Amino acid sequence: MLCVEGINKRFNGRQVLSNLNLRVGSGETVALIGSSGSGKTTLIRTINGFVVPDSGRVAIQGKDIDYRNREALRQTRKRIGMVYQLFNLVERASALDNVMSGALGRMDRGIHLLVSTVGFFQKEDRDKAMDVLRFVGIEDKANERVDRLSGGQKQRVAIARALMQEPELLLADEPVANLDPKTGRKILELFLKINVGKGITVITVLHHIEAVRDHFRRVAAIKDGTVCFDGKVDELTGDHIDYIYKSDRNLECAAA
Amino acid sequence: MCSGITAFNIKGIRTALLWAVFCIIIAFSFREAHLDIRTLADGLPYAAALLRDMFPPNFYALEKILLLAAETIAMGLWATIIGIAFSIPLGLISAKNTSPNVFVYTGGKLLVNGMRAIPDLVCALIFVTSFGMGPVAGILGLLIPAIGTLAKFYAEAIESIDTGPVEAVRAAGSHGLSIIRHAVLPQVFPLFMGYNLYMLDHNIRAAMTLGLVGAGGLGFELFRQMRSFHYHKASAILVIVFLIITVIDRLSSYLRNGITDGTFLNSRGRLKDWSLLSVFCLITGLSIFLVPVSLREIVAGIPRIRDFLSGMFPPDFSPIFTDMKLMLETVGMGISGTFIAMLIAVPLGMLSAKSITRSPFIYNITKEITNFFRAMPELMFALIFVAAVGLGPFAGVLALALHTAGFLGKFYAEAIENVDPKPVEATEATGASFLQIIRHAIFPQVSPLFHSYNLYILDRNIRASTLMGIVGAGGIGFELVMSMKLFDYRHTATLMIIILTTVMLVDWASSYLRNKVVA
Ligand SMILES: Nc1ncnc2c1ncn2[C@@H]1O[C@H](COP(=O)(O)OP(=O)(O)OP(=O)(O)O)[C@@H](O)[C@H]1O
Ligand SMILES: [Mg+2]
Repeated sequence: MLCVEGINKRFNGRQVLSNLNLRVGSGETVALIGSSGSGKTTLIRTINGFVVPDSGRVAIQGKDIDYRNREALRQTRKRIGMVYQLFNLVERASALDNVMSGALGRMDRGIHLLVSTVGFFQKEDRDKAMDVLRFVGIEDKANERVDRLSGGQKQRVAIARALMQEPELLLADEPVANLDPKTGRKILELFLKINVGKGITVITVLHHIEAVRDHFRRVAAIKDGTVCFDGKVDELTGDHIDYIYKSDRNLECAAA
Repeated sequence: MCSGITAFNIKGIRTALLWAVFCIIIAFSFREAHLDIRTLADGLPYAAALLRDMFPPNFYALEKILLLAAETIAMGLWATIIGIAFSIPLGLISAKNTSPNVFVYTGGKLLVNGMRAIPDLVCALIFVTSFGMGPVAGILGLLIPAIGTLAKFYAEAIESIDTGPVEAVRAAGSHGLSIIRHAVLPQVFPLFMGYNLYMLDHNIRAAMTLGLVGAGGLGFELFRQMRSFHYHKASAILVIVFLIITVIDRLSSYLRNGITDGTFLNSRGRLKDWSLLSVFCLITGLSIFLVPVSLREIVAGIPRIRDFLSGMFPPDFSPIFTDMKLMLETVGMGISGTFIAMLIAVPLGMLSAKSITRSPFIYNITKEITNFFRAMPELMFALIFVAAVGLGPFAGVLALALHTAGFLGKFYAEAIENVDPKPVEATEATGASFLQIIRHAIFPQVSPLFHSYNLYILDRNIRASTLMGIVGAGGIGFELVMSMKLFDYRHTATLMIIILTTVMLVDWASSYLRNKVVA
């Protein structure tokens, strides 16, 4: 499904990703962990084309992402849903409007493009958005403005927007870091429901090891811009965790 | 589900109704303002010929022009300085939390609104009739609306202060003026300085056109050259006007930004700030030296103001219907001008917003065009358009449209640059195209701001269109000037009542609607 091979990225002379490799199969769920500044967000943004790697390749379903071709990049993004820590919703718009904007990538031809650029959606899209909102459990808030929703509800809207894309891959960058633990758990359960129910591959950055243990089977750890642990959650020992979160650049990678 | 559907339909019907009302108003205004695409087409050759005649600018008597320019700046400065002195007490008594009692508060507020509603040129006209032509009439003409505007800003700033420090100072046993000095002033000082600079900027701009009614400054010379068809000389004056306004505008916004974020005089640019400040003081000193305000002259004029005011009573209401029709035309001009300005400003604003225009070339060009429109006073545009498309409201509408397209373009661009980038990235991540992102992630964020700016400009344009008649560009202004020239002050009174009532009504409606849309 996803194949990241030997990517490097420098920001202002600082090596943020260094020879990073990661393979994720279709239908998998992967939790990404790593200390602050290790490059998790940069990796996620490389996968959906907001960061252009200096070298290496990223392939989705066997097809390399062409970072220079805007149209190709757009086509890739259509297939990848993205969920953010701060939800990234249009606060003044209704939940439904936010969700429907997930269909924009699909409305890229002829009359659909024209109509959506003027600002309208079709009835099918509206119905579909309602279905997705029902799936994430907040169809009763469809016409509510987003700035009147709670954090958990906002994240559900954001997830619904991603699902509206009918993505093959769902990326999430610390989706529960701004939520209370109970709400966070519910959101993670929702991710698993999406994975099982819709067969969508899920990769999410998480900070809470307990939550990772409870909800995920596979975990990949990033340290200093490279994957230093990749395996089953059960294999992740306390020593690994100490190592992953210790900020010493000279130690060798411990496992896997 | 059922209620959802009806809610949606009611919203749809409401939107459709609002659009219908909007279209009717625009159509009506276009008709009132005699907008006609054919007139424009017919006028284009004249406009082209005019532009040809304007080049190359002939800086015929540079010394004289520069002296007049200095006089113009001095008028703006004087009006601002005296205005500040009067506005501080007036602002304090018309702010709810510092006013001694409710009667003073109401009285202060009425006075402020009344002064603010008088267009500066009308005011200058009145003073020209009592003080004679010259800069003193100009200064006084700027002064009245400046006091009204500043006092209103001050009062709003005072009303919005944090009450914590006030409580603390009061708890320490202080009272009255001492609270104002120690708890209120420190909080509002940066805001006040920002408003003062804004006022200075505004007054210098306005001073450029005061000459059109004989109240001193560069405007008179420009008017004279345009009237005698010396377009290449007129264009030289226009160039100087444009340069001065641009410099003042940049300087004032630099200082305002520095003062509001506290970087002024205490950051790395210290030397630059000090030198700017000294240049500023030098200009102030120089212009005060050039145009000394003579108290004696002012005192001598006071009885004549009384004569003028008593000449206005009782107002002559016999021509009220024709006057109201003229006011309707004026309002139509303001609305049409604003609407056309919006149409021009949308592409200008988008192309001059750094965040969505990637090409620095296009970005810079549009920004300069926007600045040019903004820097050119509308009455000067009006003079040019009158020469191009003939006398009448159409010229006035075009002038208003171009000038305020500059303002709106700048406001729009700033709004676009300040949107929250998070939803924009999220929408881009869904694979939406460029225009879809603008429509679905940027537009919902900026639209309330846009509405608010549009309403503000509408208010301003209706006020400004009452003056277009002074250069023959339509509206009620012509009648006003004529009534004064013919010493028919009783008719002047009627016209003033109509103008002030309309301006105050529009001001009230606009701020009411603005509060609604931003919520
Ligand atoms: N656009 C950018 N320009 C410059 N530096 C950047 C940019 N994006 C990221 N960086 C730098 O790259 C490093 C890795 O950042 P990244 O956001 O990927 O870390 P992270 O693992 O997501 O950390 P956190 O857990 O705190 O979110 C940081 O030092 C950051 O300052
Ligand atoms: Mg991060």
